[in-house]
Amino acid sequence: MKLKTSPSIAGFTLSEMLVSLSLSSIVLAAAITCGISLQKSFNAVDNYFSTQMQQIRIIDYLNRDVKRGLVVTTSVDLQSVTMSVPKYIIQAGDPEAIADPESIGMPRTPTVAYTTSGWQVNYSPSTTTVVYSISGNSILRTENGVVTTIASSTDQLVPKSTDVELSNTEYANTSVTFLPIFTSGGAVAERTGTSMYATAYLRNKRRG
Amino acid sequence: MRISTQSFARGNVLLCVLCTILVVSLIGANVLLNCITRYNVASSQVRSWKESLDAAETGGDIAYAELRKTISDPANAFSPSNGWTYSGGAYANSPVTYGQDNLRTSSRVDPFYYDGNGNAWYRIRTKGTAPVLGLKRVGMDDRMGPNTRGDSLLRKIDFNYDHFVATYGPNGDGVGQTLVPVVDANGNPQPQISRRVELIAAPMTPFEAAIKAGGTFYGLGSAAYIDSYRSTPPGGPYDASVKTNPSDPRYPDSRSGTVEINSSVATIQGSIYGNLYTNGGTITKKTTSIFGIIDNNVPFSLDRFAMPSTAGWNYVSSPTMITPNTTINPPVVNGVPRTGTPQSPNYYLVTSFANNGNLTVNPAVIGGVAQETYLAIHVTGDIGQNTSSNPTITVPPHVHLEVYFDGNFQTKAENIINTSGYAGNLQFYAISPPTLPNGAPDPSVQQTVNLNSGGGSTSGFSAVFYTPSANFTINGAPDITGAIVCKNFYGNGNVHWHYDRALDTAGDAVDYRILSYVEDIR
Repeated sequence: MKLKTSPSIAGFTLSEMLVSLSLSSIVLAAAITCGISLQKSFNAVDNYFSTQMQQIRIIDYLNRDVKRGLVVTTSVDLQSVTMSVPKYIIQAGDPEAIADPESIGMPRTPTVAYTTSGWQVNYSPSTTTVVYSISGNSILRTENGVVTTIASSTDQLVPKSTDVELSNTEYANTSVTFLPIFTSGGAVAERTGTSMYATAYLRNKRRG
Repeated sequence: MRISTQSFARGNVLLCVLCTILVVSLIGANVLLNCITRYNVASSQVRSWKESLDAAETGGDIAYAELRKTISDPANAFSPSNGWTYSGGAYANSPVTYGQDNLRTSSRVDPFYYDGNGNAWYRIRTKGTAPVLGLKRVGMDDRMGPNTRGDSLLRKIDFNYDHFVATYGPNGDGVGQTLVPVVDANGNPQPQISRRVELIAAPMTPFEAAIKAGGTFYGLGSAAYIDSYRSTPPGGPYDASVKTNPSDPRYPDSRSGTVEINSSVATIQGSIYGNLYTNGGTITKKTTSIFGIIDNNVPFSLDRFAMPSTAGWNYVSSPTMITPNTTINPPVVNGVPRTGTPQSPNYYLVTSFANNGNLTVNPAVIGGVAQETYLAIHVTGDIGQNTSSNPTITVPPHVHLEVYFDGNFQTKAENIINTSGYAGNLQFYAISPPTLPNGAPDPSVQQTVNLNSGGGSTSGFSAVFYTPSANFTINGAPDITGAIVCKNFYGNGNVHWHYDRALDTAGDAVDYRILSYVEDIR
């Protein structure tokens, strides 16, 4: 018996195999490259969004404290902000807390005093000092020695605040920038492009 | 039999396509998930957090507006018709909903301090709430460190229960903690963020500046000056040399001769040892002679002045007219001269003050010792009617006189005799003229206060004037200790004007200002 062989199921020739392998390699390489690029882009976008959220958080933290601040001063390099805020809540170690431990966490009743500078409202003989500073990749908020990391990113987050004191009011301008992990060479421009600005007035220093 | 292998080839292609779609879809879904998470935080949670502060501060504004009514419109202050109730020594309003995001705010107002004049200081505590729309999940960024919780440290979202009430009670004082579900206006569960602020509203006394003009200002003479001192400890009598001697301990009190002008029309001459505020003005002439701060962006408002309630005052029926020789001695009650008090002075209603009237007010004397005596006189007409008018008012030491007048005031500066030298002992209040039916000022009626220096060109006086509806004119170069609040101010003489910083705290409240702001961040 003679087997019938169909040309349609015959094997590939060497040249066909070489061509198909070459084409497959190119397609596979392209697919892998695309995949890697896609993953990198995803990482970049994810990181960008994440850092942007931290920008918002830094500004929200700063604005909250500036608004309730009594005094705000910025460092020469504009990267550190120190402010005094009323000591509204009784904290552990305060005289009231020592006298009555259950008072911890409770608000104080304000007192009023007339000074040579005019009337003054006090919640406590002392005030709370809040400092914002940069430490490595982190932005720190220090309140009476207690440090909280409010933002941390490898994207070089840089907050800059300017304290502007007018005749009878005061406000702080803050900008926060970062350097995205993927840049196209124009690092300065790319940092500038991430700028986020905010202005907060000290509510305790009002006109009139 | 025929064997075909073509179906295998087709299946392989389909598998490859499906795998590719799967991979791309997974990547896309991951991207979408991250985007939604970020969007949820940025668009819903951050926005709600900011809006809740807006709502809290709006509640503060609502309460502040009611507080101001206690002076300008007492009958309608904290009115139940506006949702206010009074309980436990505090006013509270039912939540007010406003804005397209249905923000809610409520306030609680209670007096917590009374100053020496009996003026109440109020604490305004407000709560602002904003619904958190979008996905009901945290979605916060927790990548700050192992011991931190990212955004949740800053923005406290109440997903099911109000954490503040549950932990600290509704008033934040540790009383009445309970689980309160968070719901929208219709009672449906709705995550939300609430923020709370506490404001302190302080009474504004009438005489916080040397000159305060609600309208235009012209003055003073080119050689005039305005300075200040403090008559009460640690200060002392006025000393003209202090303002140019920084080493003098009284120096800080010598440069508060502030002028406040609520218009852009301000022509300043002479020297001002204090601040100068205008409302959009451009200071002209000798601006270099202003030794304090110049701020051309300080608007303010001067409300009409109404006769205060005399309900608690000690009415004395005589005299009712001031003649060329009228002397008021305190009434004797049960054999003892009544001194009155700042809150309850001896009160006289005078229907006529003669153009040449001479009024002398004596203190109560008990056991041969003059007592601090408090009087109020309400003149229902003019005090001096024309330029030849020469009414005189004499106030010896220990007398504290408040003169309220409905009409105009015209006399010579030298005829205002306050021998104590303390301006706060002689206070003039001009009651604003009636308004038109629509509440607007009647343009046909202009109240005036005219002071001429008279024969003794440098003779002056110690007194304060609160005349927010009156045009104030002063001619000549008298030496003045005191303060003036008026509508338009005109003065062309080389006046030496000394503002007494003790006036900072003198007089009844004419308005309120927010003196302190603190956010309860618990």
